[in-house]
Amino acid sequence: MSVSCNISHENNQVVISINERFDFSLHQQFRDSYSQCLDQQLNYVLDLSETDYMDSSALGMILLLKDHVDLHASQLVIRKPSDTVNKILEIAQFHRLMTIEH
Amino acid sequence: MSQSEKEIILTGCLFSLLIFNQFWFESSLIFTIDILLLIGLFIHRSRQQLANEPADKHGETSKTSELTDIDDKLIHEVVFELQQFLHQEINIIENELGRTKTLVKEAVEGISSSFKNLQCLSEEQQVMIRELIKNSTTFDENDENATLENFVSQSNQTLGDFVSVIIDTSKKSLETMGFTDEMIEQFDSIFKLLAQVEGLASQTNLLALNAAIEAARAGDAGRGFAVVANEVRSLSVGSTELNEDIRNEIGNAKGIIAKLRNSVEQMASADMTSTLEAKDKMSDMMKHVETVNQHTYESVESLAAIAPKITEAVGIGVRSLQFEDLTRQSLDSLQENVLSIHEISDVLISFEQQKDLPVHQQLLSLKDKCQHVYFQTKQAENGRSVKQITMDEGEIELF
Repeated sequence: MSVSCNISHENNQVVISINERFDFSLHQQFRDSYSQCLDQQLNYVLDLSETDYMDSSALGMILLLKDHVDLHASQLVIRKPSDTVNKILEIAQFHRLMTIEH
Repeated sequence: MSQSEKEIILTGCLFSLLIFNQFWFESSLIFTIDILLLIGLFIHRSRQQLANEPADKHGETSKTSELTDIDDKLIHEVVFELQQFLHQEINIIENELGRTKTLVKEAVEGISSSFKNLQCLSEEQQVMIRELIKNSTTFDENDENATLENFVSQSNQTLGDFVSVIIDTSKKSLETMGFTDEMIEQFDSIFKLLAQVEGLASQTNLLALNAAIEAARAGDAGRGFAVVANEVRSLSVGSTELNEDIRNEIGNAKGIIAKLRNSVEQMASADMTSTLEAKDKMSDMMKHVETVNQHTYESVESLAAIAPKITEAVGIGVRSLQFEDLTRQSLDSLQENVLSIHEISDVLISFEQQKDLPVHQQLLSLKDKCQHVYFQTKQAENGRSVKQITMDEGEIELF
């Protein structure tokens, strides 16, 4: 249960990966992972390939990340969500707000 | 065996044939033919008599006249019997014809009204089915949109709204959490400031202590200063106590904020599993409603197709009932034929009524009558075969 943040400056990419459960307990870590990235035109990737559970606070956190991304004129892509996680994203209609790569 | 004996036997044979025919076949046409044959035989016989007459005149005139008298008597008897027989047969045929006509008429009326009923019932059934279908898809008569399909799609929409409310709440809660965290950081810096204030207080305390010592060393001259130093010291102690109170209060505030964080966490974290299940059920329901609708639509189509088929079947039935017309025509023709036989029978009666007239003349008039009736019947038969129609050509008409 952890958040790992990988910032590569060569192609302006910020990769945030979530392991196992994506819930409220991660909110501090999650916010910290991107709140220091104040550059414009970055590519944010939220890697959910290792995530197997997600509750509504995760959706809220993703929306806050989306606000941050929009504020800094950047792009957000959700990468490889599992079937369960993808269903939740579909119910929340996140595919209308951001790109979801399978 | 004499010529007349032979003919009597032949006549007998024809009679038995007639009776046999009546049992064998109810058609009066065959019967009529038999009668005509019989009459033909009589004509033949009378001709032979005529032919024999000149020969007889040459020789045994008295014997011949005696024979002729016997023959005439016999002819009268035979003709009488024949007339009786014809009369009886004609009566039977007329009765049977009348009965058949009545039976056919009654049966056709029955079948016709039954077809009419069938048509009405089928129409009623159609109306009921349409009503049923309308009711099964709509549950509020005043609102056309109150269909199961709309209900399910509205529920789906509501579920979607519900999910967005949950997500929005989570987002707002997390924002609140961010502010709370910042507030706690603020409290920490207040604690640092308080620590500095505490440091100042303890230094003041120390200075006040030093001042008191210096005042004691100065003796009487420092007595006033000692009082001041003591006051300063008690001020610093008061300041330390105040500091402690502030620290406690802020500590309490931190406890309350921890509770707040807990509440906010619960607000933010809603488990989505039940929502997922509800969504799945909703999708199943949508599919089900779609299937039911499709099924209903197909049923309506089939029912719509059945209605004209029933009408067509009833139409065919009603058209087939025109056999009554044709049958009646046939029966009417048969009655005409029976009338023809009647005419012949009437001539035969004249044999009995006008015994005075010579047999020869009577036979001639019978022959003429037979020929006349024969042609009449033949003409009628020709006319009839022209107007003969098949039932398929008739128009459909409910009666």
